[in-house]
Amino acid sequence: MDREFWMELLEEAREIRRREADWAYIDMQPPRLRAALRYYVETGDFRTAARLAGLGVEEFLERAREAKIPLVL
Amino acid sequence: MTEAIADTSFLIDWARYSRRDLLWRLFDVVHLPESVLAEIYSEGTLAWIVDGLASRRMALFTETDDVVDLARRIVSLSRALPARGVDLPEAVCLAAGLKFGYVVLTENGGAVMAPSFLNELSPVKVMRALDVLHALAQAGHIGLRDEVARYQVETGHRFAKRDLRRLGLE
Amino acid sequence: MEEWIQLLEEAREIRRREADWHFINSLPPKLRLALTYFVEVGDIYVASRIAGMKVGEFDELRRKAKVPMV
Repeated sequence: MDREFWMELLEEAREIRRREADWAYIDMQPPRLRAALRYYVETGDFRTAARLAGLGVEEFLERAREAKIPLVL
Repeated sequence: MTEAIADTSFLIDWARYSRRDLLWRLFDVVHLPESVLAEIYSEGTLAWIVDGLASRRMALFTETDDVVDLARRIVSLSRALPARGVDLPEAVCLAAGLKFGYVVLTENGGAVMAPSFLNELSPVKVMRALDVLHALAQAGHIGLRDEVARYQVETGHRFAKRDLRRLGLE
Repeated sequence: MEEWIQLLEEAREIRRREADWHFINSLPPKLRLALTYFVEVGDIYVASRIAGMKVGEFDELRRKAKVPMV
């Protein structure tokens, strides 16, 4: 796959996360988790997001799941 | 013998898929880095991993100094990737892929892209869940369209249209 | 080879029989699964990794669970 394919795929992945996320739920979360979930929606970088939230990777992805943010890429 | 190494992002979704044991149709053994095992806490995922370890379909991969050194180098090189670098646990999988010829199973964007952008990693084969499902379909074990739909429903994972189009599913 | 397999099987049977399953089943998932794995396979290093413990720590847990080293 070439560079352009990956860039477009990353962009599409971001759009999917933005569209599917439950923003009302995200906005109700405590500040660190809320910031981490927003960061994750924008970047897809679950590892940094987990650190932001002060959670392990799997724990964070569970919270993302609860916020209806899918794992895409 | 076909061997793979899996990271956290792949395992925690794949473990939720009702037909997860199809993985053993493609790979004789799936290696699991200790650092990845340390990140897994949910009972369902752990129970599947423990079954895999006990049946020797999975094997614990202990990260030796040479692998970690190579992984650190990959992390450094990955800063040149557009949009997303590679973190150390994923880099460990890529390093093992390079050193031992393991297929790398990951959903991490940086790790997936790295072989396309970094010459040193070009020999490494990376597969996401969609690629695994596609390989299973090519081998005649599943119908691709139905299983992709099932996978998304059961795991909550979403495959981008671009990916599905590439496989003739959109 | 046959003899080794029988020995391993016998070792597993001993661990299964002697284990305090009431104690094991009362534990949180990671520890319960790690002990279950140890009973089935007898590999203390991998079991300790599943538990997220050092080998020595896991060995103490193994003793509390009455799972013998065979």
